[in-house]
Amino acid sequence: MDYIAQGFIRSIQLLLAGDPETYSAIFTTLRISSLSIIASLIIGIPLGFLLGYFEFPGKRQVRAVVDTLLALPTVVVGLFVYAFISRRGPLGEMGILFTITGIAVAQTILITPIVVSLTATAVESLDRRLRATLIALGARGRQILVTSLMEARYAVLVAAVTAYGRAISEVGISMMIGGNIKWHTRTITTAIALETGKGDFAVGMALGIVLLTLALVVNSSLTLLKKRS
Amino acid sequence: MPMPPLYQITNLTYRYGEHFELTVPELAIEQGASIGLAGSNGSGKTTLLRLLAFIESPEKGEILFDGVSVTENNGSPKRDVTMLLQEPYLLKRSVFENVAFGLKIRDDRRGLKKRVCDAMELVGLSPKEFARRRWHELSGGEAQRIALASRLVLRPRVLILDEPTASVDQQSARLIKEAIVECRAQFGMSLIIASHDRVWLNSATDEVKRMHEGRIVGTGTENIISGPWDHGANGLYTRMLSDGQALFVTKPPHETAAGVVNPSDVVISVAQPDGISTRNILRGIITHMTMERDSGDILVEVDTGGLSLLSRLTPSAVQSLHLVPGKEVWALFKASAVDWY
Repeated sequence: MDYIAQGFIRSIQLLLAGDPETYSAIFTTLRISSLSIIASLIIGIPLGFLLGYFEFPGKRQVRAVVDTLLALPTVVVGLFVYAFISRRGPLGEMGILFTITGIAVAQTILITPIVVSLTATAVESLDRRLRATLIALGARGRQILVTSLMEARYAVLVAAVTAYGRAISEVGISMMIGGNIKWHTRTITTAIALETGKGDFAVGMALGIVLLTLALVVNSSLTLLKKRS
Repeated sequence: MPMPPLYQITNLTYRYGEHFELTVPELAIEQGASIGLAGSNGSGKTTLLRLLAFIESPEKGEILFDGVSVTENNGSPKRDVTMLLQEPYLLKRSVFENVAFGLKIRDDRRGLKKRVCDAMELVGLSPKEFARRRWHELSGGEAQRIALASRLVLRPRVLILDEPTASVDQQSARLIKEAIVECRAQFGMSLIIASHDRVWLNSATDEVKRMHEGRIVGTGTENIISGPWDHGANGLYTRMLSDGQALFVTKPPHETAAGVVNPSDVVISVAQPDGISTRNILRGIITHMTMERDSGDILVEVDTGGLSLLSRLTPSAVQSLHLVPGKEVWALFKASAVDWY
């Protein structure tokens, strides 16, 4: 059991001393997840709004597909994106395999359904009186849509935070698309997987602590937001 | 050329709820009019109001506003009309922003702050105390008053109110009524009000229309009694009231027919009458008394086992019988006094 305790103590030392390798993984994770969350919000919020707000034929089927995509396994996304962006793939010329961009693209595919689905739910659960109130106050077309989205803002933030939590904690895509290249595409999760395999618990634990802290921040903001919405 | 009516409805139908259909073959509301709608829950009042507020569009028929048909493309009349819902919905922002919302989306920001504050004062809420409050930091009555202020600030040509005082405390109800009357006096807006509060409806409006099962069936000062009717003895039909008293009528056209009893046909007695031919002798409590503007007569409202009956009496009759709200009385009318429609 000693090696666990020792690993824990050394992990704190690594974090406090600002170990460059450890911090490289942390910053890589933050860069990738920021890119993927921004992209998924830009794509997902409008789509989710349309899906939740309007009635159209086939809406339920679209909804069922989006909801299924919530459970998308990371390795499956990794597999498909790999197939597309590897040398032999149709998008091979872009040269984004084993890059931060590549991981961000695949993560965007992973988390956009979360943003779409939760935004749609948020918009669907808006109060029925909202539309009547907006019309009664003289709002029209775009004003009704924008104000409705604003009314759902806390629930949309919940969608964003949930999606972000999924992005920072996934390992399959980062490993397959990023290749776990030191100083370049190594993220917190791939580093933990590698260091644990090597038997270096200290680095793994240090990164684990950071990941848990991030998760804690994400979750407490979720709790706060849910209370407000 | 004479001014066209404010609203002109022809052959309007609209399905609401599961089984109901609102049918208005013909209705004109004049410019500057103040109209009341009375009727039980489910009679179609709210649906008619939502159509008049252009929140819903008729399935069939036409609503002309100022003589012009209002369609999606020609939405400008919609901004002349505003409606206060029975249960207010406040936007998730500060009270000030709620009241300012309608002006802001019209891009009408001249003297915004003062106009918002004036509207809040009008409904009896101090801007200093309330303007910065969040939408959830209000009581039900305060929320309804803020919702009213956010409509009054627009100085609408038509203000539509759906049971504005049904779910608020007494003080809020009083302030809401005062604000509406005050605004009408100041800006001359048209009012269309649905309310169960007959007394207020009679005083705040020029004319009350009564609705029943999706139709406009008469004026608000008529008593509506409806089935289902059971075939009883002596060729009469009966219906039990919730307190066990029975209504007697002659020849309803069908089992669930509704009929009208003129308040002048309803007699009030302060002692239980004995040995008279009138079949309907209903014990009840006086709930309201109001003076009818045109005739000077007094309308006495008696609650008899859930059925509210209006009786039209002369002031001297009210005086000599010492009628006051809360007094137990007997309301009498003949079984044949019912007009069916």
